[in-house]
This record gives sequence, structure tokens and C-alpha cells, in this order.
Amino acid sequence: MSNLDDYRIEARNWLASMAGMFGCEARHGLSHEDDLALGREYMRARHDAGFSGINWPVEFGGQGLSHIEKVVFETEEMQFGMPVGYFGISLGMPVPILMRYGLGENGEHLPWVKERVLRALRGEEIWCQLFSEPAGGSDLAGLRTRAETDGNGWRLNGQKLWTSWAQYSDYGVIIARTDPTVAKHNGLTYFWVDMKAAGVEVRPIKLAGGDSHVNEVFFDDVRLEDSQRMSPVGGGFAVAMATLMIERYVATDSGGFGPHLDLFIDLMRRLEVNERPALGDGRVRSAIARNHAMRAGLDSITTRAMLMLQAGMEPGPEGALNKLVSVRSRQKLSELAIDLMGADGLQFDPSASQKQDWGSSWINSPTGRIAGGADEMLLNTIAERILGLPQDHRPDKGVAFNQIPA
Amino acid sequence: MSILYDEGQEAIANESARILEARVNKARQLELLEMVGEYDETFWHTAVEQGWTALAIGEEYGGLGLGLVELGLVAQAAGAIISGAPFLTSGYGVAHAIETLGTDEIRANWLPGLAAGQFRAAVCFAENNSPLPMRPLVSSSEDRLSGRKPAVTGGIKADLALVYASIDGGPALVLAPLDATRRTAVASFDNSRLFADIDFDGTPCHLLVSGEDARRLALDVLARMAVVTAHEQVGGAQTLLTTARDYALTRKAFGQPIGAFQSVKHRIAELYGQLEIARANCINAASKAGQEGFLVAAADARLSATEAYDTAARDCVQIHGGIGVTWEQGLHLHMRRTRSLASEQGNMLFWEDLLVDELTGVAA
Ligand SMILES: Cc1cc2nc3c(=O)[nH]c(=O)nc-3n(C[C@H](O)[C@H](O)[C@H](O)COP(=O)(O)OP(=O)(O)OC[C@H]3O[C@@H](n4cnc5c(N)ncnc54)[C@H](O)[C@@H]3O)c2cc1C
Repeated sequence: MSNLDDYRIEARNWLASMAGMFGCEARHGLSHEDDLALGREYMRARHDAGFSGINWPVEFGGQGLSHIEKVVFETEEMQFGMPVGYFGISLGMPVPILMRYGLGENGEHLPWVKERVLRALRGEEIWCQLFSEPAGGSDLAGLRTRAETDGNGWRLNGQKLWTSWAQYSDYGVIIARTDPTVAKHNGLTYFWVDMKAAGVEVRPIKLAGGDSHVNEVFFDDVRLEDSQRMSPVGGGFAVAMATLMIERYVATDSGGFGPHLDLFIDLMRRLEVNERPALGDGRVRSAIARNHAMRAGLDSITTRAMLMLQAGMEPGPEGALNKLVSVRSRQKLSELAIDLMGADGLQFDPSASQKQDWGSSWINSPTGRIAGGADEMLLNTIAERILGLPQDHRPDKGVAFNQIPA
Repeated sequence: MSILYDEGQEAIANESARILEARVNKARQLELLEMVGEYDETFWHTAVEQGWTALAIGEEYGGLGLGLVELGLVAQAAGAIISGAPFLTSGYGVAHAIETLGTDEIRANWLPGLAAGQFRAAVCFAENNSPLPMRPLVSSSEDRLSGRKPAVTGGIKADLALVYASIDGGPALVLAPLDATRRTAVASFDNSRLFADIDFDGTPCHLLVSGEDARRLALDVLARMAVVTAHEQVGGAQTLLTTARDYALTRKAFGQPIGAFQSVKHRIAELYGQLEIARANCINAASKAGQEGFLVAAADARLSATEAYDTAARDCVQIHGGIGVTWEQGLHLHMRRTRSLASEQGNMLFWEDLLVDELTGVAA
């Protein structure tokens, strides 16, 4: 316990010492390119300081600690607004999955993987996750990108969609259909792909909030070696699921990655409703009270989960609630904040931080309810996995992929 | 105090659930709904026999010296089968006030009897629709109490009351034996709560504290009882969630279990979210008793547990269709209990305001 407290303090001290160079304020007004460059510098410094790959094996350049230390560090880091967003997916899913499934049958790719991992940890290379497509989002197994055999390798054709940071990525993990004649989950295979290879084209998509961090990615006869295959042929869906689950314990935020409730209270201290102090208004008080009760519950769930991990126990499934509950509440609270600000609420700075600014929090909150599992899918997961309720009716169950009506 | 239950606490939770399930009888509960001024003595006898009345009272007074965490676990088991005797909660509130404020003599007079289940105690704070009135109409001198407290939980059978009264224009907490008072049972939708109007008419009483301290301590007692109640609500909500889930798995319509329809399935998943948030708030609040931030934690627990239990009752009945509204099926036992528990420790607007007072320092 006290070791962990020490670790937290050590982390916080290091982060505080870096904040001036890399934090919110240092980043304000930077172009994307400059911000990314700053991010790469930060990642190098972070690796040098021993706060990267915290729960990864030492032989891969990690620290060999547990996920508890990782979550502690991430929770602290979140408060400084460091330029880590570009590397979040890369280090969160593709790279850990590469360490597990990319080594080759006899570990023949180990040196290559080690080099990739180290470069990713130091921010020199970025990996993206090429799963979703126009025809495969929530229903991932509905994807249509094809990989067909080509001599001793493969040839990739199709389109991915919503790929975060693809425009800055060096590599990606991808799932493609290798057999359309079997049921949809059974005809998929998992590869890694060189994003700089001939035939790969990345086109950024501008999102509602104004930024363009997601992309369409087109593959036109892109050659893959069989050594790039990370699953058995037809066994890709299981590795895709493993990818989505690999980070079981991540830093959570009961504020839904939006502003803290204290910021709402501070705002209300300064505002009036109908020319009377806003904090005296019952509706405002109700909003504060209800949000507090909800967030305190989520925080308490998180604290208990951490204590259980420390005690070597398995935390309960209620941790799955965080994103579902917190992002929805962030969305509504942001709406209320903007409305009550009146004229000031109409001012909008698209580059403002989502954790500090209500306009930015609001316009970007739908993303949080869709990416990483839409609300409805999370409800299905809770209902089916935790509560044992039946699966939805699925007309495509057991039907060969190429027989499913488009 | 840690917010992970230890082995002893887990044992209390399991044991109390096991005993209550074996002893509580739904037919009797239904019958009692139509009997004003009666309740099921089984729970009270069980509580005494199992030492639940003694749980949170100090060992020097014949108690077990445990606290709100343990009592909360018993309350949760009681809530799960709607058995909770009102005195589990109010007895704790009164004993806590006596232990905190009473003279040696007062403690010696009452605490051993409360621990042993010899006396039942009620809490008389509310007046009209105010959970803790600014200027109570019931007034007191040093040793006499006058005025009416309406719909006191457990009022018809209690031996002793902790009363929030006015003294010299300020608030006070006094202790009054109830044998010499006039009590009128209130016909209610949840009669086994034993609601009664109590008329004090020069009733002998004992002053525990007056002035600003009285309000502060009354709030503390109310918050502690709210946390016990919140555990009871979580227990009830858990039962309703499980009942709804089980029914959704077995009842079929349009060729599939109704639990395969998302409007049913997602309703239950949302309820799970409310329940787990409430449960986490309860555990946190119970562990904070007597510490800084307790009022905030208690308000969080009160608000979220009431919301969870209310939603659970609404949704569980809905998921049952017609069978859910029958007398025999008994879901209305929970429905009724949601409203009595929501009212007893003060309505939600009161708790929202209290929470925001604590968070911002700005009063409503
Ligand atoms: C900002 C952002 C970044 C992203 N980054 C990446 C990335 O890096 N890599 C990647 O692979 N993907 C990424 N995604 C894609 C993301 O995973 C998908 O958007 C998500 O899975 C939803 O899929 P969809 O957009 O196709 O919506 P759909 O699946 O078409 O869903 C539309 C609506 O239908 C509902 N719905 C679908 N199925 C059901 C059902 N069975 N029951 C009830 N409702 C249902 C959904 O809940 C939703 O409300 C990103 C998305 C966003 C917005």
C-alpha cells in the first residue's frame, strides 16, 4: 500500500517537473505537426524516466511492474494534459498484441518485434488499429476488406474507416476476410500491415468538433507476406477480441473524460439564474447533487477495484459501467453548462481542452458514446455477460457470409 | 476503514441473509399490509436473538462494538426480503445519539436495554413534510415535552424516542419514554412500518443537547440512519433485479424469451448500473461514519439507493406484465416499501440540498 503511495508521489513529481515543457499550456495553439513532435519528445523523456510500458516485460523495454502501477501512472498523467493521445491506441492495443501474437511460431520474429516495441514506446513509431469499416462497426465480423492468397503471401483490397491516427502511423494491425463462404466470424484472418507500403492510401475525415484524427484507409492490392499473419487462417476474430480485451485495466474517469464536477460548481458560483445566484436554484442544485452521487459511486467502484487488485483478487464486473454512465452524464452536464452561460456559452474554441472547456466537452461527447463500443453494445454486453440475459435475435447467425443479404 | 469487506463482515452478510430467508413469510407480509398498527414480530425476535440490536453499541454497554458497515450488511439482507423492522434503523440512531451525547447515567439506563432488545426506540425528527424542521413545533423545557410528531416510524410500538424539539427558541435533542404519550396509528400503504402520530403533553423528557450542536448532531443521526436505509434499499433493488432477470429468461412472447427484446434487456442492464453505483456509495458511506466527508457520502448513498430501488420496483413490475400487479405475486410489497423508505429519512430534495450545502457552502 505505502509502496503504491510512494509510486504515485514519484509519478506525480516527475509529471509536475515535465508539465511546463509538455502540459496543457505548452501545447496551446500548436499546429498538429508541432504538437505531435512535442508528443514524440515527451514519449522519449517518459521512457527514459521509466514510466513507459509500465506493466510490460523488461526484455521488451518495459518496466516489469503490474497493471496497478500502470493505472496509477495513467490516472496521474491524465490530469496534466500531456501530448499522449497520438500514442494511446498504439501502445494500448496493437503493440501489446504484437508482443503476444507477432513473434512467429518459433519466436523467429522476436528481434524485429523488440525493435518495433522499443520504437513505439519512445514515440518514434506509431501503430494504428484497422478494424472498423463502412460495413463493420458494432458488427465487426461484417467487415468486407479481403485478403486473398497470392503465391506464398496475401493480397489486400478494401477500405477501413474511423482509423484513429492512421495518417501518422507506421504500422497497423488489420483484420480481413479470407473466406467469404463460411459464417462471418469464421472467415477472418489477422495481419499486421506496413502503412507506408505501396497501395495504402490514408484520407483524414474531419469530425464534428473540427479535428481530423480519424481516417479512411484504402488498400489497393497491397502485398502482405505470410509472416505478417498474426492468427491462424480463419482464426482472426479471436485475436481481434483479444485485442479489444488486452487492456483490461485502464485509467477511468467518472467525469467521462470531460470537465470535473468542481468546474461546474465553480461556474455556477459565478452565474445567475433569473437574476438570482445559480447555486441557490433548485434545478442547478439537483443537477450537481445527482451528478455527484453518480460520480462518487463510479469512483468508489474504481477504488474498490484497485484495492482488490492489490489484494490479489479479481475485481467485480461493475467496472464495465464507467464509460456508459459517465460519458452520457458528461454530455448532459455540458449542455446545461453552455445553456446557463448564456452569451458566453456561445463562444467556441475548437482547440480548447475537453477536460476544461464545456463547449469542447459537449461537441466531442458523442464520440465517447460511440467509439470503443457504442452505448447500446455496452448495454448488450452487461445484459448478456454479467446478467446472463439472451443474445439478440441474429438473422445472420450460421449463414455463410456471401449468403447474407447486403 | 477499508472499503473491502473482511471475512467477518462477509459472514454477517451471508448469515443474516440465510436466517431471514428461512424465517420470513410472504403470506404473513401480505396479510400485515391490511392490519394497521401490527408488524411481523419474527424479524424483531430474530434481530434480538442474532445480536443485531447490539451490533453497533459499545461493548461496555452490552453491545458488540461494531459499526455502520456491519449494520448496513444486515439491513441489506433485511431489505432483500422486505423484512426490515423499523427498529433496526431507528434503534441504531437513538443508541448512537445516547452514546454520543448521554451522561453516564443515561447511557447506563438505556444502552444495555437497547442492545438486548428490551426496548424499541423511535426517532421523531420530521414535522409536516420537513425531515428536520428549522423551528420544530414540538417544544421542550428542561424536562417536559409538548406537541405532536406525525407519522413516526415504529411509533406505535416504540418504548423510547429521540425527539428533535425547540427549546428557548433554538433546536434541541431530547430523549422521551413513550409510555405516557397518546399515540394514534396511521393507516398507510406500508402498515408494518408502524407509523403513528405521537402527542406529547407535558411528557417527562431528558435534554441531550441544545443549540447549533443539536442540529449538527441531528443531521449526523439522520445521515447514519439514511445509510442504513440505503443498504436496505440496495438489498431490495438487488432482489428486484434478480427477479426481473429470472422472469425475463422464462417468460416467452413472440417466439423468444422477453429478455431477448432489447427494451427489456437494456432496462435490466441500466438497472444493474444504478444498483452497483448505489451499492458502491453505500459501502463508501458506511466506512466514513464519524469522519470528515460523511454527510456528503451519506447523501450520495441516500440519493443513489433511493433512485435504484424506485427504478427497480417500477421496472420489475413492468417486466412482469399483468402478473406483476397482482396482490398474490407480491411485487407491490417492494413498491410500497420503496415509498416508505424514500419518505422516512427525508425526501430527495432535502438530500440534494444538503449535499450541495456541503459541497459548495451555499445554502438553498
Ligand atoms: C472518434 C472515433 C475513433 C475511432 N477509432 C477507431 C480506430 O482507431 N480503429 C477502429 O477500428 N475503429 C475506430 N472507431 C470505430 C468505432 O469502433 C465504431 O464507430 C463503433 O464500433 C460503432 O460502429 P459504427 O460507427 O459502424 O456504428 P454502427 O455499428 O452502425 O451503429 C449505429 C447505431 O446502431 C446501434 N447498434 C448497432 N448494433 C446494434 C445492436 N446489436 N443492438 C442495438 N443497437 C445497435 C449502435 O449502438 C449505434 O447507436 C472509431 C470511432 C470514432 C467515432
